[in-house]
Amino acid sequence: MNAKQMNAKQTTREVIDETGRHVAVPVAVHRIVTLAPNLAEIVYALGAQDRLVGVSNYSDSPPEAKSKPRIGMPTNPNLEAVVAAHPDIVLITTEGNRRETADELARLGIAVYATNPHSVESMLESIEHIGGVIGATAQAESVVANLRQRLNALQSKLASAPVARVFFVVGESPLISLGEHTFIADALRYAGARSVVQAKQDWPQISLEELVRLNPDYLVFASSGFGGEDSTAKQLAELRSEAGWRELAAVREGRVVVVSDEIDLPAPGLIDAIEKLARQLHPNVFEDAAQHASLRPLSASVPAHAHLQFTVSQDSCTEALACAR
Amino acid sequence: MRPLTPRRIAGICALLAGVLFIVVVFSLQVGAYPISVRDVAMTLVRGALGHWNSIPSSDRLIVFGLRLPRIALGILVGAALSVSGASFQALLRNPLADPYVLGVSSGAALGAILALVWLQRFPWAMQGLAFLGALATIAAVYFLGRRKGQLDSATLLLAGIITASFLSAIIMFLMTTVSGRDMRGMAFWLMGDLGTAPAIGLGFLFFILLIGIGAIYTTSSDLNLILTGEQEAHHLGVNVPRVKLVVYASASLLTGLAVSVSGAIGYVGLLVPHVMRMLFGSDYRVLIPASAIGGAIAVALADTLARTVVAPTELPVGAVTAAIGAPVFIYLLRRRLA
Repeated sequence: MNAKQMNAKQTTREVIDETGRHVAVPVAVHRIVTLAPNLAEIVYALGAQDRLVGVSNYSDSPPEAKSKPRIGMPTNPNLEAVVAAHPDIVLITTEGNRRETADELARLGIAVYATNPHSVESMLESIEHIGGVIGATAQAESVVANLRQRLNALQSKLASAPVARVFFVVGESPLISLGEHTFIADALRYAGARSVVQAKQDWPQISLEELVRLNPDYLVFASSGFGGEDSTAKQLAELRSEAGWRELAAVREGRVVVVSDEIDLPAPGLIDAIEKLARQLHPNVFEDAAQHASLRPLSASVPAHAHLQFTVSQDSCTEALACAR
Repeated sequence: MRPLTPRRIAGICALLAGVLFIVVVFSLQVGAYPISVRDVAMTLVRGALGHWNSIPSSDRLIVFGLRLPRIALGILVGAALSVSGASFQALLRNPLADPYVLGVSSGAALGAILALVWLQRFPWAMQGLAFLGALATIAAVYFLGRRKGQLDSATLLLAGIITASFLSAIIMFLMTTVSGRDMRGMAFWLMGDLGTAPAIGLGFLFFILLIGIGAIYTTSSDLNLILTGEQEAHHLGVNVPRVKLVVYASASLLTGLAVSVSGAIGYVGLLVPHVMRMLFGSDYRVLIPASAIGGAIAVALADTLARTVVAPTELPVGAVTAAIGAPVFIYLLRRRLA
């Protein structure tokens, strides 16, 4: 053991990550590398972006993350680039990274903290864990408290609304939807919806015939990037010109929703996506709420929004920019 | 052509080893993290002398932790695939034979995937099952490729292609049953990847490689005779069944070894022996060692391209060997026909 390792030993503490690995994390984390887009977004939300020295490709949220040095794809990061960034900690996720990558980095003596987000709730916990690991506990607590408050506000608003039966389109050709144990399936529940597909498999392939039989209330598409209202209209027009699809009641009656990719990103922006999806699936509930809100300017959800100005304004800014483009 | 003396064989091997050395030095020096030739040399010399503390830590991690093991793995895989390709070509008297065309790689991949699904705890299971998969596949293909008791070249290749597609179907099926996380790893590994260090020591893998190549090399004079025909070889005193058994088993071992540590890296077993034949003649006494070193050069170089062409993004090395291998193969084929 050389001097440097001895020194490192005194200034690290052992934590157990979300996959049960024991990790020696430096007490003071000055340099962070993230190997998935959602992790970069979380680091920004925690206000630790100045310590972020490397991000995986396609870490585009928030837009400032685009200027960070890229270290390759999540499944296949360039380990040399990771080493060259001299990270104190590398954040990875079981949704997107490979176990082998974590093993390799650990072999090289680099601290790797793995998150394992499988539900909206566990995503919130991951934010707290990451906050603890990088020394941003207070920020993490306030971010998570605000996100929870928004989710609670949404829950109470949707309490009386009927659950929307949706078909979530992960891929169009072949037609792929999602199973009950996926992250998105859980996000749908928070938006007052339920997937009509009941599969144990994570990404089941569904025939168009089966889709007609399931007859969902809504079709939900995930856009790549931040599609706005116009992309919903475009999607609907396209579906109406396609045989099979145009026969669906949801398509005939225009019940098609395009949500932003954030719905599949275990990061704070997910709550935005859930809120937006809920608005589109339950327009009646939100129309009423808007009327009430004009009567009662201090509704329960307003302080939460005001408090979370940092994350929310940044994300809505992203979309405003995307829409303007 | 000059007569093949031990001296000439040694000369050819030394020449190829020199080329390999240049490739290794070049590969050590290039990458996402820039290190000058001088620093690479200093790092190597200091490392060899045991002066670890005098090497900057990131240089040490990158040269000894990342690049050197990866290049060594490339050398191992290239030599194994290339020698098993050359062996299959002799036994089957078919210049198009190669572990991939014959489905042997798919058999090894299926074995390795079964180990990944069920026996993840045992680091040896992957290599062991890959070997068994390769062996079972070549036995099946050999049996299916016979017509009226005779090995028929076209039937054999068709049997190989069909076996490969059948095994791929089973692999696809198995992959739908595993979780998203495991599947990502498997899909990636199937494309051919040298970036992941194998669970067992490189030294031991090299030991197995040497045993496999050594066993095949002991039969090289017999293989020369078998190339003219099994009947003729038999009349000349070759114990044909014994030679075939040794070579099939060794070539399966080599294929299983290569596939279990790197997934599917195509065209190496097909092309490298071809190129070596064109350069040094088709005598197996020189072809086996030349193919081993030539394959090592080819895969080490292809992997260096894979990790640098679009850095920091890395390509699977299997994509690089196929992208270069397929056009070269067509060129060789056309030149032969012309």
